[in-house]
Amino acid sequence: MSEKTRADAVTTSRRHFIKSAGAGSAAVAAATFGFVTENAEAADLKFDGEYDMVVCGSGCGGLASALFSRWQGNTAVILEKAGSIGGTTSKAAFWYWVPNNAAMRKAGIADPKPDFLKYVARLTNPNGYDANHPRYGLTPWEYEMCEAIYDSASPAVELLAEKGALPYRHVAGVPDYFAELPEDKAPKGRVLVPAEASPSMSDGGRVAVRTMSAKARQEGIPIRTGTRVTKILQNTTGRVIGVEAQDELGATVRLRAKKAVIFATGGFTHNVELRKNFLNGPIYGGCAAPSNEGDFINLASPLGAQLRNMNYAWMCPIPLEKAVAKDGSISGMFSVAGDSMLFVNMYGQPNANEKLQYNELAHTFFEWDGAKVEYPNLVRIAVWDQRSQDHSASAEYGRLIVPRGTDDRHVIKGATLPELARAIDERLAKYAGVTGGAKLAPDFLANLQASIARFNGFAKTGKDLDFHRGERVVEQLFNGDVKEEPGRTNPTMWPLSASGPYYAALVVAGTLDTKGGPKTDTHGRVLDTGDKPIPGLYGVGNCVASASGRAYWAGGATLGPIIAFAYRTAQAASADPGSKA
Amino acid sequence: MKPLPLLLLALAAVAVSAQADESLGQRLAQNSCAQCHSFAKGEGHGVGPNLFGVFGRPAALASGFAFSKPYADSMKGKTWDRALLDRWLTDTQAVAPGSGMVYFQDDPKKRDELIKFLQSLK
Repeated sequence: MSEKTRADAVTTSRRHFIKSAGAGSAAVAAATFGFVTENAEAADLKFDGEYDMVVCGSGCGGLASALFSRWQGNTAVILEKAGSIGGTTSKAAFWYWVPNNAAMRKAGIADPKPDFLKYVARLTNPNGYDANHPRYGLTPWEYEMCEAIYDSASPAVELLAEKGALPYRHVAGVPDYFAELPEDKAPKGRVLVPAEASPSMSDGGRVAVRTMSAKARQEGIPIRTGTRVTKILQNTTGRVIGVEAQDELGATVRLRAKKAVIFATGGFTHNVELRKNFLNGPIYGGCAAPSNEGDFINLASPLGAQLRNMNYAWMCPIPLEKAVAKDGSISGMFSVAGDSMLFVNMYGQPNANEKLQYNELAHTFFEWDGAKVEYPNLVRIAVWDQRSQDHSASAEYGRLIVPRGTDDRHVIKGATLPELARAIDERLAKYAGVTGGAKLAPDFLANLQASIARFNGFAKTGKDLDFHRGERVVEQLFNGDVKEEPGRTNPTMWPLSASGPYYAALVVAGTLDTKGGPKTDTHGRVLDTGDKPIPGLYGVGNCVASASGRAYWAGGATLGPIIAFAYRTAQAASADPGSKA
Repeated sequence: MKPLPLLLLALAAVAVSAQADESLGQRLAQNSCAQCHSFAKGEGHGVGPNLFGVFGRPAALASGFAFSKPYADSMKGKTWDRALLDRWLTDTQAVAPGSGMVYFQDDPKKRDELIKFLQSLK
């Protein structure tokens, strides 16, 4: 510690001493003799429990951080704001993207590190990408964070599997979302799912939360639900020493962290104010757990945390009705199912490839028409016929086309196209308050009919000359179930029927969750505005800044890195000298 | 006209206390269950089944909802009553190991409030 810092610390502690006249004798002595009174404040506070690590959040980031900490010989507690555990993880399919994983190595699939880094660099920073640059155009921070994922994701998932917390299944056939890029030398093989996930792999999150939480409880890690952290506690030197939290019934609890407070509390999807101020584009909430309200941003900002990547989210189209209703069980539309189905905008015009992977499709809703002063694609309308209803309905992956008996409040029906258009208009009128009064253009129906005719022409040949639907491997991955048609080359398209009934749904852009927050180093240490770690404070997952920029590299590009950083964070936190050093 | 304000006050007090009771269970349910379950009649199933009318219903039956095998195996033949709900909410995995729902609540007061709320869904 430099003389100046030391002097500042002493001054602060003296000021603190003067303020707290009732301080105990140890604190009095320490302050009087001019020692660095690290524990002065801690001595003043009454704590309800003491652990090496206090972990906030019980999704994958929190559970993994606590488990990895425990396996390093530490004690840990998990605090969860919601009444039930799992956060957004429990809603996820829980694919996890693990470069150069053990299953790949065993199968002889090469995944060289430089090419992996080129792939993520190109997607993360497309306008700065340079294959000949030593860091491929990434900033030092971005580069190190991406390296950390490559280096640590595999050992982390192996440890979780070995300990029985998260046995996995290698899904060798799943392609990366940009498998065609020349930088992607391992276009398939990086995706794992929980071993017990269903064959369709949509329920992995519930499996992972179950197995990881069971292991945590078995390892003696208490999980306290309904416990909302309201304050990060620091001692007089600025070291983080614990948290203050509120129970659902209003009681205040304080927990002391001997080594580290680790936040894994998710992003700010459900904080309208933060969304409005940091995200660029009209985003209608999303399918993160309802408890993802950006708590860590509000708690860490007073400590001087540096915010990064606040302008991006893991995005996904979502049904307007469920977003507005704040339906807790809303799922992002990972898969826009149906072959005899298309999206049009308020003018009845199609202007996107419906089968683009979700993050990319969601971005296309934000185009701004500066002459008409409107977002022409703010609300898109998915239209399908009875064929898709009969053969492509599924309750999984947030599909719009859902089976009978499941939640179909978002579905609009019409016996004919004119009837469907009228019904769409009526539905839109109900939501005028959140769409700036968006309604169908006067020539919507005529345009819709022309659009269907043009789409049907492409569907007959299997070649979409406008949007190239179904041409990339990932677009077929997300096609969902369709009626078998022998000899068809492009299973993503089939002509819409000339007769009804027809179905429609209103679609807007939303998030799976956001991906900005306090910046950390590669060991999860939260950095202040001078890039210095805030002692004792760590962060993992969507509550901290992702180094991925706008990119969604592949299925599982959220959870693979989260596990890697939980592992690195637990290692660093375990070695943290703590407040008694 | 004097008695009227008093009467209004008394009515208001009753209303407030009823609302407070209702809101605790409802608030806990919102914080604990709403992420996967819907509560109102006809709202459809989410990640978990719709909970309208759950009290008195066979535990492994919700029209249009496909329960997981571990859940169905443990719960078939059982009916949702106060005792079963209390055991369930104490630790779902102890009652139906391997079921998709992971929930545990050690506090009997909170369980009681949740059960009262679930019972009111009819």
